Amino acid sequence: MKIIYVLIPLSLMLLGLAVWAFFWAVKNDQFEDLDTPALDILDDDETEDSDTNREKRE
Amino acid sequence: MNKPAEKTCFHCGEPVPPATDLAVEIGGQSRAMCCAGCRAVASLIHSAGLDRYYDFRDALPERPDAPEADPGRFAAWDRDAVLDFHAGPETNGRRSIVLVLENVHCAACAWLVHRYLGQYPGVSETRLDVGDGRLHLTFDPAQTPLSALAAALERIGYPPHLDTPDSGLDRDRNERRRMLRYLIVAALGMMQVMSYALANYIGGAGDMDPETEHFFRLISMIVAVPVALYAGQPFYRSALQHLRQRHLGLDVPVAAAILLALFSSVAITLFGSGEVYFDSVVMFVFFLLLGRFAVMLARQQSGAVHSALARALPGQARRLTETGSEAVGLVELQEGDRVQVADGDVVPADGVVTEGDASVDESLLSGESEPRRRAPGDAVLAGSLVTGGSLQLRIERIGRATVISGIADLLSEARRRRPRLAQLADRAAAWFIALILVSTGLAAIYWWNADPARVIPVTLAMLVVACPCALALGTPTALASATRGLAREGVLTANPDALEGLPKISHVVFDKTGTLTEPGTRLAEVRPAPDMDRDRVLALAGALERVSNHPVARAFTGFDRGLVVQGGKSVAGAGVVGRIDGRRYWLGRSAWVAEQAGVALAEAGEGIWLALLAEGAEQPAWIRVEARFRAGARALIERLNAIGVEVILASGDRRVNVDSAAIELGIGESHAEMLPEDKLALIERLQRSGAVVAMVGDGINDAPVLAGADISIALAEGAAIARTQADLVATGRDLQPLVALFQRAPAVRRIIRQNLVWALSYNLCALPLAAAGLVPPWAAAIGMSASSIAVVVNARRLGRAQDRQTIQSGSERPVVAEAA
Repeated sequence: MKIIYVLIPLSLMLLGLAVWAFFWAVKNDQFEDLDTPALDILDDDETEDSDTNREKRE
Repeated sequence: MNKPAEKTCFHCGEPVPPATDLAVEIGGQSRAMCCAGCRAVASLIHSAGLDRYYDFRDALPERPDAPEADPGRFAAWDRDAVLDFHAGPETNGRRSIVLVLENVHCAACAWLVHRYLGQYPGVSETRLDVGDGRLHLTFDPAQTPLSALAAALERIGYPPHLDTPDSGLDRDRNERRRMLRYLIVAALGMMQVMSYALANYIGGAGDMDPETEHFFRLISMIVAVPVALYAGQPFYRSALQHLRQRHLGLDVPVAAAILLALFSSVAITLFGSGEVYFDSVVMFVFFLLLGRFAVMLARQQSGAVHSALARALPGQARRLTETGSEAVGLVELQEGDRVQVADGDVVPADGVVTEGDASVDESLLSGESEPRRRAPGDAVLAGSLVTGGSLQLRIERIGRATVISGIADLLSEARRRRPRLAQLADRAAAWFIALILVSTGLAAIYWWNADPARVIPVTLAMLVVACPCALALGTPTALASATRGLAREGVLTANPDALEGLPKISHVVFDKTGTLTEPGTRLAEVRPAPDMDRDRVLALAGALERVSNHPVARAFTGFDRGLVVQGGKSVAGAGVVGRIDGRRYWLGRSAWVAEQAGVALAEAGEGIWLALLAEGAEQPAWIRVEARFRAGARALIERLNAIGVEVILASGDRRVNVDSAAIELGIGESHAEMLPEDKLALIERLQRSGAVVAMVGDGINDAPVLAGADISIALAEGAAIARTQADLVATGRDLQPLVALFQRAPAVRRIIRQNLVWALSYNLCALPLAAAGLVPPWAAAIGMSASSIAVVVNARRLGRAQDRQTIQSGSERPVVAEAA
């Protein structure tokens, strides 16, 4: 059972990592728009177009 | 309205008027369109290769008003003064700006806007918030000017407006982010602490060696203490605020329970022995936060006052200079400037007419449904619409000094008052809270004398078992599921307290203009002339009214057979004149027609009658138009009468219009020609006589009245400003959502009452048992969780019942709700 003394602090580190990741996501507006990203994936026949868009922007 | 439409427009879903032959090929098929506006939008979408919009959308768009946008309308938006005021600072040659779009309904709108604007060079970010219609746009003004992007948005049916920078948008977003962070920390922390606690429960007492058990407690403490302290902040702050105001709010025992359970568990872990409650504490925090988060989202979605104000004002003004005129942004206008307001444009600031003659539609401000004539010397107000002519104004008051801004300020002032129902609820809760705290203190004193070893377990058991968890959850969870259910019906809840109070309503006051009626008019009756049959009369009227912007003209749009009109002219406040097939025709008020034609005409009777007279004829054809009632208006009044609620009509409109509407809808009491102050006085008089008053309105002029009523309900199709003030907002074009609202309200109240009765009786039964030392702390924890779960399950029942009824009554409803 000694292993729990290693594993549980390890899980705490993972917890910290998860909290950090979520905070990062909140800060970067990942939760601001939950509607449109779902539609982007349906948009397969437009990929060529959006690629050219990206080039245009850069 | 209820006639089955043979053909509906592929774009907007409205019936295609007879003899309309417009079509666009989309998805390989020819699709019928109802008007040139829809056809223009649909062909734009098609030619941009965005046909899939029609597959993605789950709500129908508004019918576009203007067939083609005039790119000059947004010319002022490219000026540096405008960009500096409304957009963020320039970075790498790019600027970002927030535009408020109209007619945003569903995710497909966001997709369409993103795709369409993405085709323009220099556009690097387009993010449209479907909830409030705000577009976050980052673009390069050197490659594509803002005016071109704005015109593009208008072309595809989303007229843009500039957003005022201090619109509270940042504050809302910060609040949302903060709540999300609390919620995430509480959720993750709960999962961790539960897993440690589970190990302890499965191991059982004595099965685990004391050292391991102590280790698990320590670990639980290390996680739970920071989580509860961080994520519980909203409750501590609110409790502190309540205490400072010498008031026992519901957050006081919530905060006390969290902190006491937390610190006694810490004390037990470090110094003593007994049960710890780290798992219960974080779970408690998480579930409470979840409720708060849902309520916050609902409130934020109802939008900000300032953006609504932006919608009521034009995007630019035409300022007159020595050499001519220039388009300027509203922020550049100064007192004393002279501006030109063209036919169909909105007045940019309060001013005095210096030149010109036109009708001015002030329905947004005063509720008067018919435009009034304005000549040099008359004052006009920002936000009113100029029709049938153009005006030159000298600006007298700008920006925050305008009447329309003043009304908005009045609103935020009135908003700060707490509703009476909420105060009552707070007071009742305060008594219960005081009872818990006092009895816990007494029990602690008793056990201190009787058996000091049992003080801690008993006190804890009492606090946990009596913790008003179920009490705190009962109302918010019921309101949250009711809010969700109602959103599906098309009613948005800005202030959930209103749902609780709705069944107590004894009087409902309606504003007629734009609430029970739709903007514009419809044809009621035709009396043909000797030389003209009905069809001919309507074809002539349809052709003549083409030149008019007057609301009356909208009654005839479906009857335009395309007759050629020569020299068609609209005369403000009188009528239209034009030459068809070589013969001159007048259509308008009988007095004006008589004067123009030089014949004597008698009045035709009650109501709004128009005379149509041909040159040389003696007898006119008479056409009566009337206000169009919104779909569901009759059903709503019937419903209210059936449940014994008194219905009152209070309108700024003329007596004859109000009376006919009241008679037709079966409303007993009606008041005409009322100013906002009169309406407010009416409501206050009713309230003094003991009535609980709900106000249904939509105009800016209603807003202070809405604020004065016990419960305010606004229609989202009307002036956007009122919606921000109202407790409840009905979306869509008909009143059906309100019928549903009044049907659901008793159930909401019933469920809330059940929850409160259950939670209270559980707490009151368990408290003495715990005080007597009969409830061990672990049983108290189970009891608390069980009572909370019972309350939540009961609240969900409310959502289910609504779903079932939605299906029963939902057949007539247009598709609007899902976007909400």
